[in-house]
Amino acid sequence: MDVLATRYYYLVTFVVLGLGAYMMIANRNIVKKIIGMNVFQTGIFLFFIAAAYLDGANPPVLTAEPPYVSPLPHVLILTAIVVGVSLTAVALGLVVRIYAEYGTLDAELIREVRHDE
Amino acid sequence: MSAVEFALIAFVLACGVATAMLRDVLAAIIAFAAYSLGIAVIWILLRAPDVGLTEAAVGAGVTTVLFLLTIAKTVRPAGERTLERIDLPALGVAVVLVGILATTLGALPPVGGAETPVITSEVTQYYLDNAYTETEVKNAVTAVLAGYRGFDTLGEAVVVYAAGVGILVVLQREVFA
Repeated sequence: MDVLATRYYYLVTFVVLGLGAYMMIANRNIVKKIIGMNVFQTGIFLFFIAAAYLDGANPPVLTAEPPYVSPLPHVLILTAIVVGVSLTAVALGLVVRIYAEYGTLDAELIREVRHDE
Repeated sequence: MSAVEFALIAFVLACGVATAMLRDVLAAIIAFAAYSLGIAVIWILLRAPDVGLTEAAVGAGVTTVLFLLTIAKTVRPAGERTLERIDLPALGVAVVLVGILATTLGALPPVGGAETPVITSEVTQYYLDNAYTETEVKNAVTAVLAGYRGFDTLGEAVVVYAAGVGILVVLQREVFA
């Protein structure tokens, strides 16, 4: 229990990763698969930000008093958030195109239509 | 765990489960926006205000708009049920994934401890000690983002540009209208 009491953010990370993986596998609607991918990403973000945290520290803004939390993981995650949005935008562009071609967003139906062709 | 942290984590996980289980895509998108907002507040609690602002603007804002535009252009499948059926094989994969990851929990450093590798890293100390004298920016995150890791941020801009071009190619358009 001691391990859990100090590391519960990591446990939340793992649960969120599992939730994202579940959404990507279980949901037949491809838009919901992409939402699942976004959920998975936030799990990774939580891992990094939790790793940068220091009890009782201030944000890494140098007008505040030290100690500070580490700025580097924050920077990496800022970049990752923007890259994640780009990824989502392209994925949703593909979704719109898939709908125009197949008339459905159901992954199983798309597979059947492709099989019949 | 403080009461605020507990409430936020519970809210975020509840919104996450709602996102996964709601059958209506619009409802799932709304649940995901609430999830992003909850995560943004968790970033504030973990002393990452820059990440929190970006998450609130981009995660809860831009991403939600993109999803809404997509369902406006496609379909929102009318379901007879409110919730999805639980997919047992997928649940099995997810549980195995969480189980395997959870075995590493004891090997990870405690969150917030003074001895964690990130906090004691000389890179962290270098940025905190020299960010202001070398870049004259008081916000160490900005200093690292636009100064020390400027090429990384340039690469990020290239990714955003490539995504824009990629969308135009995929949709066979020449301009964003």
